[in-house]
Amino acid sequence: MPVFRYPTVSGVTRRVRAALGLGAGVTRGALPEPTSADGRSAGSLAPENMIWIFGTGRTGSTWLAAMMEEPEGHDVWFEPRVGTVFDPQRFQRQGGKHFILASQYKDVWLRSIRNFILDGANARFPELAGEDGGYLAVKEPGGSVGAGLIMEAMPESGMVLLIRDPRDVVASWLDATRKGGWQTRRRGEGGRRAESLAETNPNAFVRRHADAYLQHVGSARRAYEAHEGRKVVVRYEDLRADTLGTMKRMYGELDVPVEEARLAKVVEKHSWENIPEVEKGQGKFYRKATPEAWREDLTRRQVKTVERITAPLLEEFYPTDPTEQEG
Amino acid sequence: MIQDAWRKVRGRGESPAGEETGDMRPENLVWVFGTARTGSSWLSAIMGEIGGYSRWHEPLVGHLFGNLYYERAGHRSEDEHFILGDRYKELWLSTVRRFVLDSAAARFPEVAGKGGRYLIIKEPQGSIGAPLLMEALPESRIILLVRDPRDVVASNLDAHKKGTWTADLMRKGGKEKPPSLAESRPDAFVKGQARRYVRDVGNAKKAYDAHRGLKVLVKYEDLRADTLGTMKHIYSALEIPMEEAELARSVEKHSWENVPEEEKGEGKFHRKAKPGGWREDLTPEQAEIVEGVAGSLLRELYPVRSTA
Repeated sequence: MPVFRYPTVSGVTRRVRAALGLGAGVTRGALPEPTSADGRSAGSLAPENMIWIFGTGRTGSTWLAAMMEEPEGHDVWFEPRVGTVFDPQRFQRQGGKHFILASQYKDVWLRSIRNFILDGANARFPELAGEDGGYLAVKEPGGSVGAGLIMEAMPESGMVLLIRDPRDVVASWLDATRKGGWQTRRRGEGGRRAESLAETNPNAFVRRHADAYLQHVGSARRAYEAHEGRKVVVRYEDLRADTLGTMKRMYGELDVPVEEARLAKVVEKHSWENIPEVEKGQGKFYRKATPEAWREDLTRRQVKTVERITAPLLEEFYPTDPTEQEG
Repeated sequence: MIQDAWRKVRGRGESPAGEETGDMRPENLVWVFGTARTGSSWLSAIMGEIGGYSRWHEPLVGHLFGNLYYERAGHRSEDEHFILGDRYKELWLSTVRRFVLDSAAARFPEVAGKGGRYLIIKEPQGSIGAPLLMEALPESRIILLVRDPRDVVASNLDAHKKGTWTADLMRKGGKEKPPSLAESRPDAFVKGQARRYVRDVGNAKKAYDAHRGLKVLVKYEDLRADTLGTMKHIYSALEIPMEEAELARSVEKHSWENVPEEEKGEGKFHRKAKPGGWREDLTPEQAEIVEGVAGSLLRELYPVRSTA
């Protein structure tokens, strides 16, 4: 049966540790000291078997996570929001040595963040424990603001930077948050505010979500750049165009062994075509799945707003076709 | 670990030395909760001056965990995947416990170990997470420091106007203070500050009420009226040692009268220190806004004044 890149877990561990050893003390400081909860002891999840998915909401992370959950011995931690706890932007004004996350004591609190994550993972996914244990994908787009600290605390883990054209992301949120949209309904059920800026001031809504995109994906991008372990950029558009090929490339880059025939079945099971038609469409969680649908969904002014705010990321990941540029 | 801590508190036994990493003993931590502008800087300065005490100035660890747990993701408490989900609360409280003790030991090695020193943790702005911190550290001592919410809001209203000490503070950090609602929409600012008071003092009081260890409620107004007497009451209620003459010296050193005149007044960190000053500072409508938002806490903490 064809498989792609089948390294053993311990082999991966050795390589990652070796790679990290080269960088330790140069750009990232020392690896957090092992503690009782460092995942090294028998019966604990190996940190190198964790794969973090960062980006932002509406980039296909639920779809990707659903596929990553399927292989035998794989599981998904669905939005723990650990990154939100340690969101450095919340505390930009706190620079003193007394602040709990003061840079002078980084080695101490990075170890705490590591323990916080591993304790939480081990309690929830005990079946993945041990050196020959399985893999845990952590779907954490909403916690991307803390991606940098998480990856610094978990340097052996793998990282997926999942991105999508910000114009499509904003268009998707606009649809979800309008009256009757899935997000509006969910908030209503949860007792949270149901009124939406999407209805009352859509242009302001677009601006706010473009800002959020820049903050979330920008943080994830910086974390990706700094991470010296296994990592891969996955574009939603590539995932839509060639799901199996993109999944194979992703697992390959992450050195995670997956049987190709099994992966093909997983891809097929979770394909857009296999979602019942009644669950798809405007205002639903599964909306269009059509890259560049923003051309139909956003006004010209809204497109300009998103392009202006997210310019650094847009230019990097979605460079403009010169033939499309205005004169 | 938390269960063990509870057993020790109930039996009034001490934690075995070395139980925690860094040898920081949780019973040697004294938390000061409340909200900003309640006199917590003054109180902690007096306490930090006494021999055998160190002061941790606003670690904001309560805000770190409390903000997500109570505000940003409060609706996910029953979600098993949520990192602060209730099902795994004992587990993550243990991690919070280690986090605090490790961080304290790294900063204040003189308090760690068997030296018998105490650490005063001034944490009014982390009070949103006070219930979580005290649940994680049940052996710790707690001071609930309160002040009439109308005076607190009046003090904040003054502090956030243009050219005040908060702008100086931001400038020192390399940033310019953005325009504040205190200038453009003062009534909206007052409402926001009253809500903040309810959030902070409300959660600090929840922690205080639930705490089965040593604790004391301190009113700013009492501290102003009889500083030495109130301070002695604090040490007595918390069963922590002090030498009375040394305390008297610290009280004198940090008295309002000893703050230089040029450092006091409108727009300054040391403003009025005058209980009931809100009558001059707030409009009747603004006072009504605060009484409406913080009415429940006001009636509970200031029953006589609430008849206004």
